[in-house]
Amino acid sequence: MSSTNLIPKFLILFILLVFGAGVAAYCQDTGEKIKELEEKIKYQQQIIDQLQKELEQIKQSMITEQVQKPAEKIVSTSGGLFGSANLFNPNISLILDTFGYSSNLKDKDLEERNIPGFIKEGIHHRKGMNIHAAELYMFAPMDPFFNLYATIPVTEEGVELEEAYMVTTSLPAGIQAKIGKFKSGFGRLNIQHAHTWNFTDQPLVYRAFMGHEGINEKGIQLTFLPKLPFYTQVGIEALAGENEILFGKDAGGLKAFSAFAKTSFDVGDYGTILFGPSFIIGDTETDSIEEDHIFRGDTKLAGLEFTYKWKPSRWKSFIFQTEYLWRKQKGNIEDTNTSDVSRLERTQDGLYLQGVFQTGRWGFGARYDLLEPFNDRYKLAGSDVSFGDKPWRASAMVEFNPSEFSKIRFQYNYDKSSKNGKVNNEFYLQFIGGIGAHAAHTF
Amino acid sequence: MKTIMKLIFCILSILTFSGKLFAQVNVVATLPWIGNLAKLIGKEKVSVTTLVKTNQDPHYVEAKPSLIVAARKADIIMYNGLDLEIGYLPVIIESSKNPAIQPGKPGNFDCSQFITPIEKTPSADRSMGDIHPLGNPHYHFSPSNIIKVARGMAEILAKIDPSNEAYYRKNFREFQSKWQGKITQWKSKNLAGKKFVAYHWLFSYLADEFDFQIVGCIEAKPGIPPSSGEIKNIIDTINRTKPNAILVNVYSPKKPVEFVTKKTNIKSILVPHDVGSLPGTDDWFLFMDRVIQLLSEV
Repeated sequence: MSSTNLIPKFLILFILLVFGAGVAAYCQDTGEKIKELEEKIKYQQQIIDQLQKELEQIKQSMITEQVQKPAEKIVSTSGGLFGSANLFNPNISLILDTFGYSSNLKDKDLEERNIPGFIKEGIHHRKGMNIHAAELYMFAPMDPFFNLYATIPVTEEGVELEEAYMVTTSLPAGIQAKIGKFKSGFGRLNIQHAHTWNFTDQPLVYRAFMGHEGINEKGIQLTFLPKLPFYTQVGIEALAGENEILFGKDAGGLKAFSAFAKTSFDVGDYGTILFGPSFIIGDTETDSIEEDHIFRGDTKLAGLEFTYKWKPSRWKSFIFQTEYLWRKQKGNIEDTNTSDVSRLERTQDGLYLQGVFQTGRWGFGARYDLLEPFNDRYKLAGSDVSFGDKPWRASAMVEFNPSEFSKIRFQYNYDKSSKNGKVNNEFYLQFIGGIGAHAAHTF
Repeated sequence: MKTIMKLIFCILSILTFSGKLFAQVNVVATLPWIGNLAKLIGKEKVSVTTLVKTNQDPHYVEAKPSLIVAARKADIIMYNGLDLEIGYLPVIIESSKNPAIQPGKPGNFDCSQFITPIEKTPSADRSMGDIHPLGNPHYHFSPSNIIKVARGMAEILAKIDPSNEAYYRKNFREFQSKWQGKITQWKSKNLAGKKFVAYHWLFSYLADEFDFQIVGCIEAKPGIPPSSGEIKNIIDTINRTKPNAILVNVYSPKKPVEFVTKKTNIKSILVPHDVGSLPGTDDWFLFMDRVIQLLSEV
């Protein structure tokens, strides 16, 4: 029984042993595998950590790279100094200046309404609607050395070349040259275009001494701006001298010469003062003084200007501006009917004072003109002559600016500039508007 | 007479060339933020003159002679570009008679050359107001663009003043690390999802970068005071969209803003439009701190 019982026991034991060994072997095998796996996982974790680190670095370097990469220029969006216009087209704008005019005088009287002793020319415009001009204005840098400007007013009479000049941009030491046809730097208002004036018409003294176009001549101008703590500009000009009132159209060459200086400094946070003298001299041969008379000689014109501008914000400003002009003429005056020649020597002067207050889109202004405030006599053929009454005019204006590009202005003039005693009550309703390139404004 | 002329000539030439004796680079900046950025990059190697005052509307500035004389003395002029200064800067630069700052020269530095403009309107005309077809010019509210401008400034200063190249680069790196810290700080303020109405289109870059919305502007057409119809429209928009606040700045007209706030019961907050325009905003970081703070509080 025992032996027969033993065999199965051994068998069981054997089986158990084998099985146990197998299990042990299996267990050992799994343990190793787990270890192996653990190591693998550890290794992979390392790789992941490494990768994460690298990724972080890449991210970081991408941010810094984005920042550090040479600041690239986005050329297409950079408009350049003169604005967004195409590089190869000049900046062009068109300014329309039109006004309605009314007066107590008849058109025929207006045509003859001269300023005796100053100019024989009457008033240009008529009662009713008038087009001052549709003015083409073009400007652009020409090359690294010059900028070019042209003003071409188109009027009902035709096309005119008002201004066309180049300005140097590369001369050293604060020197700049202007060459072509341009408005002289003489005085304050002369250089400004009519549509930028604070009043519809020019001051009496400008009309009397320079005519309605001002001093606008072919020539060369040199200006100098030294590096001073405050603004001081000096300028000289050699001009053709074709202004009909001052010099006369006939002569050739350069026969008028001017010099001017302007100084400016700021007063307080919002105020600016600009002032300076101007001087122009030239040969004269003109029939503009009186009907059927020709004056031959020389003319000196001197001016003093003063402007105070207070502008605390875009919506509020006050401007006070005045100019005093003084003219001396020496020569002979010839009666073209009788050929009589007599010696003429005369000194005349004139001034205007104006103030403009702006609030919001509204502007209010007043102006006073006076001729011969200090000099109202002259010597004709050796004897003193006086015209008596001093010509004067008072003006009031209200304007509304719907936007930066448009203006509506109403102006009234009480004009006593004619010697015949007749008052001219003038009313203007003016509309000014510009389209095209945005031209920068001078002070 | 001759000696007097000689004397005058001597004095003028001394005055003209004496500027060169000082080692500092003479930077003229149009806007306060540009001047501040130049100072942060150039530090004591630059002297900075800023043309536009901190309380001034940068769209409308007079080309005063004092600004021309400042530009006369500049080694470099730095400007916002995108036509913002079109009404005065061309006159200042040409009248300065300073060849160093003319267009095309290294001394003529248009900050917008480095930025990516938004709100470009190539088909704009002026019936839409005084619009800038090249894009919204108020990118100084945009950190991602400002860092590029700062880098450009470091590069141009290094070019103009090569002896201090390392100095400018070091200052830029300092600026950059401060900038990186600030970005995280600003982003954490969480402006995302907010809605605002503004007086003028000043905040578009900020809204883009910080993920909030400008639902409309009181000044519907840039540069033109709003008409009564336009005010009615913005009141409707406010009632419909319920913005968090109306953003105004020191130069926006008070009347229309007061009217809109009264009608809608949405309050207006005074936000600095540029560096230094409100007390305690004297550098670009402080300015941005204040802007983000103000917007996050409502």
